[in-house]
Amino acid sequence: MTSREMVRSSLAHQETGRVPVDFGSTSVTGMHVAIVAALREHYGLEKRPVKVHEPYQMLGLLEEDLQKVIGIDVEGISPYETLFGFRNEDWKQWKLPNGPEVLVPGDFRTIKDANDNTLIFPAGDTSVPPSGRMPKNGYFFDSIIRQEPIDEHRLNVEDNLEEFGPVTDQVIEYFRLEALRAKATGRGVIANFGGTALGDIALVPASFLKHPRGIRDIEEWYLSTLTRQDYIHQIFDRQSLIAVENLKKIRPAVGNAVDVVFICGTDFGTQTSQFCSVDTFRSLYMPYYKRLNDWIHANTSWKTFKHSCGAVEPLIESLIEAGFDILNPVQCSAAGMDPVSLKKTYGERIVFWGGGVDTQKTLPFGKPAEVREEVLRRCEIFSGNGGFIFNTIHNIQGNTPVENVIAMIEALKEFNGQA
Amino acid sequence: MEKLIEQLSICIESGKINRNSGYPPQLKGQDGADEIARQALESGIKPSGILEGCMAGMQRIGERFGRNEVFVPELLMAAKAMNTVMEHLKPYFQTGEVKRRGVFVVGTVAGDLHDIGKKLVAMVVEGNGWEVIDLGVDVSTEKFMETVGQKPGCAVGLSALLTTTMVNMEKTVKFIRDKYPQTKILVGGAPVTLNYANQIGADGYAPDPQGAVHLLDRLAS
Repeated sequence: MTSREMVRSSLAHQETGRVPVDFGSTSVTGMHVAIVAALREHYGLEKRPVKVHEPYQMLGLLEEDLQKVIGIDVEGISPYETLFGFRNEDWKQWKLPNGPEVLVPGDFRTIKDANDNTLIFPAGDTSVPPSGRMPKNGYFFDSIIRQEPIDEHRLNVEDNLEEFGPVTDQVIEYFRLEALRAKATGRGVIANFGGTALGDIALVPASFLKHPRGIRDIEEWYLSTLTRQDYIHQIFDRQSLIAVENLKKIRPAVGNAVDVVFICGTDFGTQTSQFCSVDTFRSLYMPYYKRLNDWIHANTSWKTFKHSCGAVEPLIESLIEAGFDILNPVQCSAAGMDPVSLKKTYGERIVFWGGGVDTQKTLPFGKPAEVREEVLRRCEIFSGNGGFIFNTIHNIQGNTPVENVIAMIEALKEFNGQA
Repeated sequence: MEKLIEQLSICIESGKINRNSGYPPQLKGQDGADEIARQALESGIKPSGILEGCMAGMQRIGERFGRNEVFVPELLMAAKAMNTVMEHLKPYFQTGEVKRRGVFVVGTVAGDLHDIGKKLVAMVVEGNGWEVIDLGVDVSTEKFMETVGQKPGCAVGLSALLTTTMVNMEKTVKFIRDKYPQTKILVGGAPVTLNYANQIGADGYAPDPQGAVHLLDRLAS
């Protein structure tokens, strides 16, 4: 079985013989660039600076040689532009405050503020205020909130739709070429075409826009899901209609080279609870998720991928009803997210893409033997009858001991009979 | 009089800020926390009684939040309603006519820019009768030390959302412990556990804002 066949079988809830593995295919299943660099060194791969292909969380690109060593089965297609609104091109060297020399895109333009924080500019334009801040000794950026004063009477939904427009021929051509490239790797392919995330709090501040308008403050956005529901409905309605029109244009260009489409990274869970009630989810979000998922299922062979951190067990039934095929990152450390119970209750109806090892405790702070034990146990629990793609619970953070990451990779190989 | 206090507590619990506020829909067009607090003062209700009304409302919403019956947006609205009442009570806090249960210095630790979780704790603790000094996000150990020095007897709350920044809690706890050994220190945030709190020498851990209130009340008594 090729990697791609294995991924497809697992997505179809069929036994695959071994657990398919993802690292680096999306912005929520990756590794910090410092970890990628450390792994390259550990495995004795060619010495060269690692590319930061996702500059917001400073995720490192896993190139073919490292993918092969780890045994990765999924290839990613990234959005046309990064979260800071520039393309991944014209690479240049940059020194990570806390780590090695890396490569960043040419428009990755930063300055230091008085407190030694690193500030980055939207679309590389240094004539406008910066949109991201990496704290001194930090590992990645957070959005700088650029919220204009809100006048209730002048709120215009168009302001929150600036980033959602018709896809251009240039972008379609990019996805066509990327699909060809990704398919040629022989791995399963996941694509993030953009524009399908409903109220993802990482996207609301619009770190990619030079002058964001509308509701861009994180707290105001959460409040709006309660107090300005008509406004939010209008955004989601328009946005999802635009997204379907874009998918209609992208589909012929990429065809069945794509196996999975990344729909949305909106987090509905906290460590112990949810961000909204099941009723609110079903009235405010589900109709628009359904519109996207229904079109995809009626017109393509793609499976749909939903990321949400936290304690989302009460929402899983509704996520399935909304048409999602895949749940990530399966945060087993959150309330109600016991892996055995999740697999038993939902395992035949939704694919768990993640849940492989805890990244709040075990991976960053545990011992290699504890990492091994947890990886083996999770593979045992989640892999029965397919429906499982191995990934850590969200990205591997920059301060994770590399020996723990290696212990995880070796445990995976042990489980898969490749040790 | 009691009716006004009860109304006030309902406004706080349901996030009804003022008459013009359209939220919650069932109280549309009615007076909110702002108007009722003013009426209460004008009618001679003691400021401490008004604070108690606030506390009753915040306690109810905080407990419902802890039981996952309401969520972050509802709690934020309640806190906003409470803030309008606090504006009315400010002069009485300054003169000492209204006493608070203690001072709580709270902040997100160095290197961490996450605000909402810490803010929710700050708001609920304030709504339960504490004076809160919110130092914001990315707060250095030095800044915590300076504030604790200025507020003898205060309790301290440290927040972190990231595994990369929770390690900075340890340093802050150690510095505060060394210089101000009597200071009670609480920690919280997604990756933080009771085990971790014990390991770094904090006095307590709470998984949610109302838990922080219970802990503070216990530590302060």
